[in-house]
Amino acid sequence: MPLTFHHHQLPNGLDIVAEENPDSHSTALGLFVKTGSRDETPAINGVSHFLEHMMFKGSDRYTWEDVNRIFDEIGARYNAFTSQELTAYYANVLPEFTERAMEHLSHLLRPAIRQKDFDTEKKVILEEIAMYLDDPGHRLYERAMEEYYKGHPLAMSILGPAQTIRDLERDAMVDYFQSRYGPGNMVLSATGRIDFGQIVDLAEKYCGGWKRVNARRDGDAPAGRPGDFQMSDAKLNRQYTVGLTPGPSAQDERRFAARVLSDVIGDGEGSRFYWTLVDNAIAEDADFAFYPADGVGTFALSLVTDPTRSAEARVIALAELDRVRSDLNDAEVERAKNKIGSSIVLQGESPLGRMRNIGSQWIYNREYRSLGQDMATLMSITPDSLRALMNDFPFDPMTLVTLGPPEAGSDTAEPAPDPGQA
Amino acid sequence: MPERFLVETLPSGLTLLGEKMAGVQSAGMTLLTPAGGASDPLGASGSATVLSDLVLRGAGSRNSRELTDYLDSLGLQRSSSVGTHHTRFGCAALARRVIEALPTYADILRRPHLPADGFEAARDLSLQSIAGIQDDPRHTVLIRLREAHFPPPFGRNTMGKAEDLEKLTLEACRADCAERYTPRGSILAIAGDIEFGELRDAVASAFAGWEGATERIVKPGPISPHRVHEHYESEQTHIGLAWPAIEETDPEYYTLRLALEVLSGGMSGRLFTEIREKRGLVYNVSAGYSSLKDIGAIFGYAGTSNDRAQATLDTFIDEVHRLAEGISQAELDRAKTGLKAATIMQGESSSARAGAIAYDYFIRGRIRGLEEIKAAIDAVTLDRVNAWLKNNPPGPFTIVTVGPNELKMPQA
Repeated sequence: MPLTFHHHQLPNGLDIVAEENPDSHSTALGLFVKTGSRDETPAINGVSHFLEHMMFKGSDRYTWEDVNRIFDEIGARYNAFTSQELTAYYANVLPEFTERAMEHLSHLLRPAIRQKDFDTEKKVILEEIAMYLDDPGHRLYERAMEEYYKGHPLAMSILGPAQTIRDLERDAMVDYFQSRYGPGNMVLSATGRIDFGQIVDLAEKYCGGWKRVNARRDGDAPAGRPGDFQMSDAKLNRQYTVGLTPGPSAQDERRFAARVLSDVIGDGEGSRFYWTLVDNAIAEDADFAFYPADGVGTFALSLVTDPTRSAEARVIALAELDRVRSDLNDAEVERAKNKIGSSIVLQGESPLGRMRNIGSQWIYNREYRSLGQDMATLMSITPDSLRALMNDFPFDPMTLVTLGPPEAGSDTAEPAPDPGQA
Repeated sequence: MPERFLVETLPSGLTLLGEKMAGVQSAGMTLLTPAGGASDPLGASGSATVLSDLVLRGAGSRNSRELTDYLDSLGLQRSSSVGTHHTRFGCAALARRVIEALPTYADILRRPHLPADGFEAARDLSLQSIAGIQDDPRHTVLIRLREAHFPPPFGRNTMGKAEDLEKLTLEACRADCAERYTPRGSILAIAGDIEFGELRDAVASAFAGWEGATERIVKPGPISPHRVHEHYESEQTHIGLAWPAIEETDPEYYTLRLALEVLSGGMSGRLFTEIREKRGLVYNVSAGYSSLKDIGAIFGYAGTSNDRAQATLDTFIDEVHRLAEGISQAELDRAKTGLKAATIMQGESSSARAGAIAYDYFIRGRIRGLEEIKAAIDAVTLDRVNAWLKNNPPGPFTIVTVGPNELKMPQA
């Protein structure tokens, strides 16, 4: 595949990373900022995500109506997302709209944050929080993060508690913006059909005046705590279980092996969880996923079952995590590698997918990895790499949380006694 | 210029579609067989969904585990689903791996083992999915909306009804498989880095001698608007709104599609602007065209706090009615740009292309190139949209709500 990598740093410190693919039909541009709920204090929890919404409310030059109209005028596929550690803004356009997309993204990231817009958007954020409260999987995940990372900023939710959002003032958001949104803490990622010289010129023209920031992040890597927590809700039909346990971080070389291992254990089809839990209908869903993060990482077990079968499913899942350490076989590792290999090929054919990948890689590691490097690393992984990984990360301790109707599972009152604090 | 598309109907009735794509190494496959929710046997709703799981539990010379392991060893990104008209099997990987998998997909359709223990598990999983939907009010409202709006059996939830699934037997499923996993009405579409000669040979050999019953074609009855409220102690009230629309083969299809882009295209769409941006009533609001064979509809959704649900529903309906007053040239221009860009960018994904050509063939009996679609979009003028909107006011509405309180329903 004729992909060429480029990197350039503007005099103000803005990093530009790009991967040129002349076969693409489109161009993808994204601005990635190393900031998220992890960088907040409890008093302003949710500000990163709320701020992401406010970026679409206009700059000194544009109103919110202009912002939405201009993106639609150029036929862009555009959006933004906020995670615990990263906030990104992006647009996928036809190549002839590259300059307008760049100009527009640059306006997006210099928001006016007008009081009236702030007040209206606060209502939208509160609706988004309410929407997630109607999603048991999301409620459970938030609680699991809260317990696993207790005492660390990663324990906070991305959206923030409704009351914190109601109390949040515009000035606190402006302060947060000024301390986090600048060169030195962000990267421009461009992929697809691009001319790198043009991208650099456009970045200089539209972002060259931005001031560098010295944003820091708490680098502590908290270890997970063992625990077993039950939540109940009378209106639910199903029992939901999440378990979090330590894994390698986004900087750790073992992350590639961790991705293979999570597929061997808990991919949607053909994995160990599939054969022991889903094939026989003990669980409707049984996954095991790997979530690398900045300086820290987790594996996440997730089960959805009939309430009467929750305890059984959990015993089987934990037994499988124990068993895989001694009876891992070559064929299952090879199959998982082949599936991941296909996803690498398919990602290379999507400018949007590549833009997100190289932008976040740069934020986490300040490095570029080509598809060829990713493929070579993947192919170098052996069953022994996975065994070594499981020695380093033996799925212990584990923070388990369940949510379901009250009569199900254990009769322990909520919240359950916390062995982590015993 | 070498041919870009391949369209061929095999003697068995199976249609083979191909699209050659430049600059990709992958291929995507969509395989449709005419076992959809609408043609589930009477009293056996959900049969196609159970079958879509059961046929993967061993086929040809491989048992369940061998079959899954083999497909995984090819590195296929796989999916399967059941829609109103078809069961769909999809996969994507390096192109040669997809071609290599074709004999196995032929086994899945033609020689599934349909084992007894697998049947119990597949049925159990279907019953669990139905129970799980009740925990997800956003999903519930969309299912109820289709059920209420589309005439039966088109609006059926393809997962089926629990009472039907409980009665379903392995024998009935086997008979259903023999009848509906049939070459007539099946479509195999592959897009990506492929050679048509090689594809033809692979398909001819894998599907040689496949015979089957004639496709069971189900026609929709007339649409009748309904009002449904389902009580649920949720944080938000989930609102579903539907109204009838022309079919996709109608000459005014792109006139309607562009008007819908104005209503709910990008973030400058009217629903988003009026309901979310100006009033902050919702996080999610949208409306879009939904097409089945011989019938079209528009489905909308909004999720909002219970005390603001009435205002949201009223504003939603006002905005839909306001379309009849016409749209502006600037709105039409944005809609055209958006629709064309989306069509071009979809051309980068082999999986998306395989799905698109299969769908195009099913609805229209042929594949359209990008130029034809662009020309159809460009041919729509402002006068044409506005005249059409004036003469075709939206309604009557089917409205479904899921939440703690019933809302006051509009007359229309």
